[in-house]
Amino acid sequence: MVFDLPAAGRGDSAETIINKIILKTLLAYLGNLKEYITFSVIVLISVILIFQNDNIQIRFIRAIAVSVIGTVQSGFSFIPNIFELESENKSLRETNITLAKDISLLKEAKLENLRLRQMLEFKQRANYNVATGKVIGKTLIQTRNNITINAGENDSVYPGMPVITDKGLVGKIVASSPNFSIAQILLNKDLRVSAKDQRSRVDGIIGWDGEGKILMKNVSKSFDVIVGDVIITSEYSNHFPAGLPIGYVASVGTVDNLFKKIEIETFVNFEVLEEVFVIKSLSDEERKNLEKKFSQKPK
Amino acid sequence: MLALILVQKTLIWLIAVTNYDVTPDLVLIGLVYIGMKNGKTYGSITGFLSGLTIDFISFSFLGLMALSKSSAGFISGFFNDERKIARYLAGVGFILIVLLCSLVNNIIYFTIYFQGSTLKLSDIMMRYVIPTAIYTAIFAVLPVIFERRKRIR
Repeated sequence: MVFDLPAAGRGDSAETIINKIILKTLLAYLGNLKEYITFSVIVLISVILIFQNDNIQIRFIRAIAVSVIGTVQSGFSFIPNIFELESENKSLRETNITLAKDISLLKEAKLENLRLRQMLEFKQRANYNVATGKVIGKTLIQTRNNITINAGENDSVYPGMPVITDKGLVGKIVASSPNFSIAQILLNKDLRVSAKDQRSRVDGIIGWDGEGKILMKNVSKSFDVIVGDVIITSEYSNHFPAGLPIGYVASVGTVDNLFKKIEIETFVNFEVLEEVFVIKSLSDEERKNLEKKFSQKPK
Repeated sequence: MLALILVQKTLIWLIAVTNYDVTPDLVLIGLVYIGMKNGKTYGSITGFLSGLTIDFISFSFLGLMALSKSSAGFISGFFNDERKIARYLAGVGFILIVLLCSLVNNIIYFTIYFQGSTLKLSDIMMRYVIPTAIYTAIFAVLPVIFERRKRIR
């Protein structure tokens, strides 16, 4: 096969001449390949004819071809399709966000489950009649810190009732509405709790000065209180049942020549407080009245 | 070529050998001759047409013989050399070229033909490919003798 092009004329520009030369070279090259091209076409036709058959050999070859193609594709599957990469990335990001949210919820549920399980065990262990509440509001940076819980008068929660967790004493309800209540916590200057050393039975008053640790006051210098002793509510309290754990002695010092300065580390971590119990018992009115009458009696 | 095809499909069974009815491929001998004389394009086109004709006559596996014969014809075209062709045809060269082309033809044909059967590749080679190639090469002696006699005259 010969491919002829008109020869470059006198009026042709240099660019036209170059183009003609390139085209001529290309056609000459293809002309040299014509035998191979013809053979390839014949092979192609033969293969197409072969694959038109529907006998066992062709089915077998098709199976092999599919297997080979599958193997090759799997071998190159690590190469990303750049055209689909953007949409795939977007989809993956969305999936990632959804999964991250799910994981977060699951972690939250797991931790909540753990806490509730501990509280349930405590509820079963303790003989108190309690209402369960979730902490929905909290202040910890003021001198009069409170928590708001989602249990109220509809749950028989009233002011004066003690608030506890499975770890120990939290505080006392000071206000309630049908569905919510506010409780003073131990980190509140206005809350005072009669307490005693569980080991040595030494009495004192638990209170907070608005900064630093909670203190156990009114303990004479000579009384036996050492670091690590557990402090619990005492029978002297008219609001809290006796024996509720409050904390342990973190340090023992002296205020003056008469009293010790005892710092208490509470068992309850107020920063992570989430669920609480309200003990449904009010102070004994008869005792309260008697104490009131006695204190008003002219001396 | 048509005459060769007719002989191949009608009378060749008379000289079949071995348990596997191996026969010489007379069409291939003619095809190699054409390929050597006229080049790759002629060889492959002649191979394709003759193979396709055999496929039609055989009523089986349309395209397989066309593929194997066009490949053999194409290879025979590599020996299309004006200066050497007379020497090839008058000597062992032609027989060896027929042997080579027959091997290529048989490998393509029989390996595809026996796909899906229990025969291993080694069995296909030993029972069909090599015996048929040798038997065909033996028959390639005939045109060599014919060419030599023509020269002597």
